[in-house]
Amino acid sequence: MSYSGKSVKRLYDDKFVTGRSTYVDDLKVNALYAAFVRSTVPHGRFKVSKEDALKVKGVIAVYTGSELNQIIKEGIGPWTTYIDPRPWKIPKWKFAEHETKYNGEPIAMVIATDKYSARDGADAVNVDYETMDAVIDMERASKNEILVHKELGTNIGYEGNFNAGDVEKALANADRRVEVEIGNNRLIPSPMEPRGIISQYDGINLTIWYSTQIPHFARSEFSRIFGIPESRIRVIMPDVGGGFGSKAHFIPEELAVIASSIKLGRPVRWTATRTEEMMATNSRHNVFKGEIGFKNDGTLVAIKGTLDVELGAYLTYTEGLQPTIIPPMIPGPYKVRDLAIKSRAIYTNTIPITMYRGASRPEATFIIERIMSTVADELKMDDVEVRLRNLVKEEQMPYVNPFGLKYDTGDYPTLLKEGVKVMEYNKMKEWAAEERRKGKRVGVGLAFYLEICGFGPYEFAETRVTEDGSVIVSIGGTPHGQGTETAIAQLVADELQIPIEKIKVVWGDSDAVPSGTGTYGSRTLAIAGSAAVASSRQALEKMRKVAARSMKADVEEIEYRNGEFVHKKEGKKVTWDAVAREAYSGREPGVTASVTLEGDVTFPYGVHMAVVEVDDYGIAKVKEYRAYDDIGRVINPALAEGQVHGGGTQAVGQALYELAIINENGQLAVTYADYFVPTAVEAPKFKSYFAEKYHPSAYLTKSKGVGEASLIVGPAAIVRALEDATGKRLNKTPVLPEELIK
Amino acid sequence: MYPAQIGYYKPDSLGDALDFLEGKDAKVLAGGMSIIPMLKLRILRPKYLVDIGDLKELSFIKEGEVTAIGATTRHRDLASHKIPGLELIQETASKVGDVQVRNMGTVGGSLCNADPSADYPAVFTALEARMVLRSRSGVREVDANEFFKGPFSTSLKQDEVLEQIKVRSLKGYYQTYKKIVRRAGDYALVGLALAIKLDSGIVKDVRISFTGVDEKPYRAREAEKALMDSKLDESKISEASNLASRGANPPSDSRGSSSYRREVMRRLLKNTLEGILNAS
Amino acid sequence: MLVEPGQKAKIKVKVNGVLHEVEVEPRKLLVDFLREDLNLTGSKVGCDTSTCGACTVLVDGKSVKSCTMLAVQADGKEIVTIEGLSSDSKLSPIQQAFKDNFALQCGFCTAGMIVQTHYILSERKEITEEEARDLIHGNICRCTGYQNIINAIMDASRRMRQ
Repeated sequence: MSYSGKSVKRLYDDKFVTGRSTYVDDLKVNALYAAFVRSTVPHGRFKVSKEDALKVKGVIAVYTGSELNQIIKEGIGPWTTYIDPRPWKIPKWKFAEHETKYNGEPIAMVIATDKYSARDGADAVNVDYETMDAVIDMERASKNEILVHKELGTNIGYEGNFNAGDVEKALANADRRVEVEIGNNRLIPSPMEPRGIISQYDGINLTIWYSTQIPHFARSEFSRIFGIPESRIRVIMPDVGGGFGSKAHFIPEELAVIASSIKLGRPVRWTATRTEEMMATNSRHNVFKGEIGFKNDGTLVAIKGTLDVELGAYLTYTEGLQPTIIPPMIPGPYKVRDLAIKSRAIYTNTIPITMYRGASRPEATFIIERIMSTVADELKMDDVEVRLRNLVKEEQMPYVNPFGLKYDTGDYPTLLKEGVKVMEYNKMKEWAAEERRKGKRVGVGLAFYLEICGFGPYEFAETRVTEDGSVIVSIGGTPHGQGTETAIAQLVADELQIPIEKIKVVWGDSDAVPSGTGTYGSRTLAIAGSAAVASSRQALEKMRKVAARSMKADVEEIEYRNGEFVHKKEGKKVTWDAVAREAYSGREPGVTASVTLEGDVTFPYGVHMAVVEVDDYGIAKVKEYRAYDDIGRVINPALAEGQVHGGGTQAVGQALYELAIINENGQLAVTYADYFVPTAVEAPKFKSYFAEKYHPSAYLTKSKGVGEASLIVGPAAIVRALEDATGKRLNKTPVLPEELIK
Repeated sequence: MYPAQIGYYKPDSLGDALDFLEGKDAKVLAGGMSIIPMLKLRILRPKYLVDIGDLKELSFIKEGEVTAIGATTRHRDLASHKIPGLELIQETASKVGDVQVRNMGTVGGSLCNADPSADYPAVFTALEARMVLRSRSGVREVDANEFFKGPFSTSLKQDEVLEQIKVRSLKGYYQTYKKIVRRAGDYALVGLALAIKLDSGIVKDVRISFTGVDEKPYRAREAEKALMDSKLDESKISEASNLASRGANPPSDSRGSSSYRREVMRRLLKNTLEGILNAS
Repeated sequence: MLVEPGQKAKIKVKVNGVLHEVEVEPRKLLVDFLREDLNLTGSKVGCDTSTCGACTVLVDGKSVKSCTMLAVQADGKEIVTIEGLSSDSKLSPIQQAFKDNFALQCGFCTAGMIVQTHYILSERKEITEEEARDLIHGNICRCTGYQNIINAIMDASRRMRQ
């Protein structure tokens, strides 16, 4: 019996297709509702008058920062698991008191019996502002004329130099030098379920139902922030309606909900409206400006430049990753070794910025792929040829890149060649050229990517055999739509050689799962899956011991296959279920095994291709999207494909439609109606292929990761196709119709 | 995003509705596709809603030399009904919003909301429709061109209800509504309602009306004048398209800049007229 | 019916075959009435601009966005929500098709997608992929990229014709 490698149907879909799913807002808890009053200025001092709001029917309380911050003891800080805070300048970030730093910041909280009354109350709160000079534009902020945080003395939150080799010498020796400017504008991840939280404090214990990707980190952050031991905090992640990195950070609204539930001694809940969700997580916005050097044969020899990453008004839990991960990933899969990149992170009076699917790798990939295409254009070379000339070769693996990242396994040139064939790139290029001769603006483009994923430092899993032989697998990973739980059940079913129906996978409750890191960074199947395999292996070993005991034999005499423990010499058999029952006799060794599996990064890679058509009005459509990836061993092809489709459609959004416009008043100037998340009409037709001869990771699952692939490489492939269609040179996302109109 | 407290009146007849509306701080609710989002944003905070959405007497399509369309006729009903001589209306209705919006929204609601990027206002302006407005004190007819005053503003008085829209048949006209959108279901970046009558290649009548390019539907009179009694050919088309785009005052917003919209207008009219030229 | 501001309206509404005679504030959105008053939490609220369609329900057989309808407007009408599309835990052909085609990931848009599909396929027996894309564009999904949803609609259409 083998489940791995097959497109096994998702195990827990029934509740979703019948309306029995339970997201935070679906939970029936006898809670009060919170609403927030938000700043209407980008920078200013303010005074809140509560009197009118307190008179509103149903309003229980109105709180300001000074009250809430007595309970919110510590501020929101960076994710120290991955971010070294030492080189950073970090402002204190609690609930705004007296001074607001961005338009949309919560500045008062209203608690009422229901959400309609809470909104009535919030509308009745009066706020007086004394406006201060604000800086909205990142480039302007970098000049430090107006400071977002006076106490920091600068708007530059981080500055680091990523130098490798001798860039000046390499530039001097290059045949050609070209200046480049490459950027991504501000985006909004927009999972379908807006964030939500319910907090209940019983005087001793704090229970929090939370739409999150990281329940265990949430527990430890809440412990630090509120000064409550982790043992007394339980964070429960119910069904979560998508995250894309946007549910791995904390915002003042959520801390206020917890604080108010502690203060009032009553449960309090808040579900963001879509408008609030759009202000809770903004992402991307960064610009690379520099110079490249290359040889006439297409070899890229130098990259020099400055990377500016916007932070918004505060340093969020996750945004510190960007300025430190983008630069070392800029060389990507290519051999270039002489680089000098100054990386800066800049505060502005705007909505704080967080990570979004791919976080840093889409940026790095967009930069290096634009550079490769620039080289191709300058030398009138083919896109594939340029890349083949620069790709790291298989015999160089494992390859240590100029910044010390060790690429584990892969054969990049072969994959590119295979991909070109499988995706019919050349045929499509010819077809597009023919269409263009007929007057249509059709284009085909490809881009290559190398992704760093799998991120440790560890993941937890526990395998528990219950009395009837069914198995509960607890994982520290936290799937929220990816379906990884099904793939993990496949792995465990194969490991234990029992039907998959006997396995239940649980996650996302900090009391039920002792430890965990979460789902982000395309890591879950590799690291949580491997942990589950490891804990299952140990559980099976314990079962073998119990079987040996029951057969009065030595463990070495017992063999296990297909649900039966067999005495090798005597041929006696005991079933898995019987051994499970026997294991609950009260004697050692028990039937629970847990592991905390250390993990390291792994590097999937691939080539994606887009086919676009631009109409006479500059409205572009991605007609087709094809992908050829080496993601290591593929456990469930349908689930992996789903990630390619979903990320690819987000790439379409980033490349063509989505733009979080911030106006001169620092206000988010789009609603969900005109932020333009793609619909089925804008989504392309997909063809997704995985390399049959894959290169495994070092993980037990041999898998690498696929969750972010399409959004990492898609924008570069789509922009390249747009260039092919229009003959224009494009350097940032999104590409707007007015840039494409002839 | 939750409406403020409000009163609600559901009349049994239009007469009852008009009685209630007189002298009250009340807003008419039909399908709700325009007004409910505004209530949720609390941009509108009337004391009462008067729900005429289920009044059978206001939901009808009476075909004739002059077709009368009841104000609460759903987009869905117009989208599934071809009115001879006014095929443009069906085409327009099928392009409004999305399926769910078309199931609930009404033609009258959209017209009275007067969103400067909505579909019907431009179309009914091109059709030179008559808006029949009724109040307790009587009935009056207003030309569509007069009806739209500006963004979200019409000549409808507080105590009036749009009862029906009357449209003269344009039998023998090429007629079409073209809509350019950034994303499916969105309001028009630029929309063009066009009706043109040709006789041996000569333009005998033409109506050109745009949405999304000004504070209210923009009737491209100069372009029409240029085309009238002329032979429809490449150079006339080019002239008219330039005139049309020059005469408008398009906004800049998330859908596109003013200059971009102007260029889209020009191309949209040019392409549409060329399509007609090639087909005729 | 006249309801003064601050008062509640008495409405009669049939939901998934069950008649409810209840009092609601006129301002209450239908989706909140279904979710909060009737505990039918299958319909989701994904946006506040009538864009996403996660709250799609059938009102007198027609799909509508229940976040853009007041509960009082439903007086005298018959509503079917996602919870009403299957009985005795047996999945409808559409629900089964979504499951079989990997047409969902996070599941938040799924109820709206399935109700809308139900409406689409009640209106037309034969459907092309392009039509399916056009008829479902009032429902937004952020996870799947839609291809598997379109496959599910086509598959369900085939199953229902058999």
